[in-house]
Amino acid sequence: MRLVSLRKGSRTAFLGVCLLAVMAIFVVRLFYLQIIKHDDYVAQSNAEQIKPLTIPAQRGLIYAMDGDSPVPLVINQTVYTMFADPTTVTDTSKVLDTIRKVAGGNLRPNPEKLLAIKDSRYQVLATGLTHDQAQMIKDQNLTGIGFQQESQRVYPEGSLAAQTLGFVNDAGVGQYGVEQGMNTQLSGHDGLLKSVTDVSGVPLTIGNQNIDKPAQNGENIALTIDRNVQAYVEKALAAGLARSKAPDGSAIVMDPQTGHILAMANLPSYDPSNYGAAASDSAFQNAVISTPYEAGSVVKSLTISMGINQGVITPSSTYYNKGSIVVDGTTIQNASTTESLGTTTMQTALTDSLNTGMVTIAERLGDGSNITQSARNTIYDYFHDRFGFGQPTGIEAAGESPGIIIAPNTVQGNAVRYSNMVFGQGMDITMLQMASAFSSIINGGVYHDPTLVEGTVDSNGNLKPATAKPSHQVVSAATSAQIKNMLQVDRKGNGAKDPAGYDVGGKTGTSQALINGQYSFTQTTGTYIGFGGTSAAKYVIMIQVSGPGLNLQGAADASPIFGDISNWMLKYLQLPPANS
Amino acid sequence: MSYQATTQQFYTTRRRSSSNNGWNRNQNTVAFVSQVKLGPVAHTALVALMITVLGLVYLTQATRATSYDYQAQKIDSQIADLSTQKSDLEVENARLTALETVQNSNVAKAMTTPAATNYAQ
Repeated sequence: MRLVSLRKGSRTAFLGVCLLAVMAIFVVRLFYLQIIKHDDYVAQSNAEQIKPLTIPAQRGLIYAMDGDSPVPLVINQTVYTMFADPTTVTDTSKVLDTIRKVAGGNLRPNPEKLLAIKDSRYQVLATGLTHDQAQMIKDQNLTGIGFQQESQRVYPEGSLAAQTLGFVNDAGVGQYGVEQGMNTQLSGHDGLLKSVTDVSGVPLTIGNQNIDKPAQNGENIALTIDRNVQAYVEKALAAGLARSKAPDGSAIVMDPQTGHILAMANLPSYDPSNYGAAASDSAFQNAVISTPYEAGSVVKSLTISMGINQGVITPSSTYYNKGSIVVDGTTIQNASTTESLGTTTMQTALTDSLNTGMVTIAERLGDGSNITQSARNTIYDYFHDRFGFGQPTGIEAAGESPGIIIAPNTVQGNAVRYSNMVFGQGMDITMLQMASAFSSIINGGVYHDPTLVEGTVDSNGNLKPATAKPSHQVVSAATSAQIKNMLQVDRKGNGAKDPAGYDVGGKTGTSQALINGQYSFTQTTGTYIGFGGTSAAKYVIMIQVSGPGLNLQGAADASPIFGDISNWMLKYLQLPPANS
Repeated sequence: MSYQATTQQFYTTRRRSSSNNGWNRNQNTVAFVSQVKLGPVAHTALVALMITVLGLVYLTQATRATSYDYQAQKIDSQIADLSTQKSDLEVENARLTALETVQNSNVAKAMTTPAATNYAQ
């Protein structure tokens, strides 16, 4: 009965229907907001409350060695950029007084003018402030002043090994040298913190949307560079260039028993902490690895070892030296003298740097009087396959050039070219390639891939040695012993005065510069390569000096620099003489 | 809130067992009826009070968690500050032990070149 009366239109029924209708609207609206539009509103909420914060990875440090201990060459320092919002700065005179007292040389010119630019909201007043400097300014509670934190590379040893190191550009990417060559290992990976934040942007741990991916810092790399050797090599190279009045020079010091590079230097150089001030881009280039050239007579040491290893000569083998030799109608002369010297030993051919002796070896690799295809194949096998000419060594620094060597199965790879190659012309090689090949012929015959990486350094400063690079036998141990002795005789025969009781040997090279496709008779590059030590060679040093319009000689200009460094190395390595 | 006066009543229920004509074990024989009866308004108020208390408890805990966040943030900031100071000291140490610094030191300048060198066998 009661239900019937309600249906008849009582006010209560009407109110109930209205309430139901309103509730239905609410339910529908809530359903729309919470179910259908759920994802949209959650996304809007997250965009407002959850902020992704990048955790920057710290770039790996670069160390050199000091004996057995790693010492930092490149480290990171947190510095601050101080900026002002001129529209909100209230006490300009206090700001100026403070930054003049604290910022010193980091202050931008005319800060008062920068603060007077009232239509700007951002003016940089000082850069490169240290933590202490920034804190002293912060303590003054200056209105309208802010700080931006950034990490910069610092070079405690100044420009030492600058071209080997390279630098990091404003985008944080390594340029040149190890910084570029090992950029991936040094960079690490940035981390990510995605978190609910308060109105000030402070991350809060509440909420289930937090993502915390820690930053993976870059590896700390220890180079094989010995900072003491590097410093002395740079000093000796600069002194040698000054003596010869030559503008350009390069040097490399290697451990022939391991392929470790102890020093690489090039002049002119630059300051990596202020790389923008470099005289030219060429100052960034590490010519030792990136500038191939015709190395000249230093290659004769490789030719002799090839001849001995192939069994076509011995140090005492002779040939008839007429002062010149004809190959396929082209006359090749000795550089030192074109006079006929008659019967000559291979030792003399090396000591006097006779081109005819080297061409004779090439002919003996063929049929005895011609540089046949077989002879050219053999030479290519040694120079390209065994010594690695014409291909990169895989050194860890950026910008390595493979050099150029012409294969014997090409038109250009004829007998005349190969007759030139055996005394160092007709192919372009880098100093690194030559030093690595030379190391192999005086260390027992083993070619070690050259390397710049000693290992990695952990956060406690402990060194973890790198895995040794590949090596392979290129000449026999007997051949190596013979060429090593010949190089010692060569050095003594050319009047070098080395300390008694040590095995020191080497070879000069003077190569004509190629200018517009023609060999110049007025511009030459002087080169010297040699080794030193006791029973086993402890170091190989290669020097190159050059300059536009200069006639620079291996014996007169490069050899004295070798001697200077070699004598110092014997003391530095504390090698006792054989008769001590 | 209104209270309805009631008479305290005790009911005794006697259930007969078909098996032994006695009382079954562990069966309630007395039911207590409270003298205080809550009306609908009182119920609503109590529920609202409980919700309020629970809400306050939740807010207290959430605020406490947030305050921990600020403390953690402050400690993180201190760690970052100390790390910066550590790296500054490392830079200073590296500069002080750099070759050029060492070579220009008074100790190095006072050194002399040995006249002769002997080697231990």
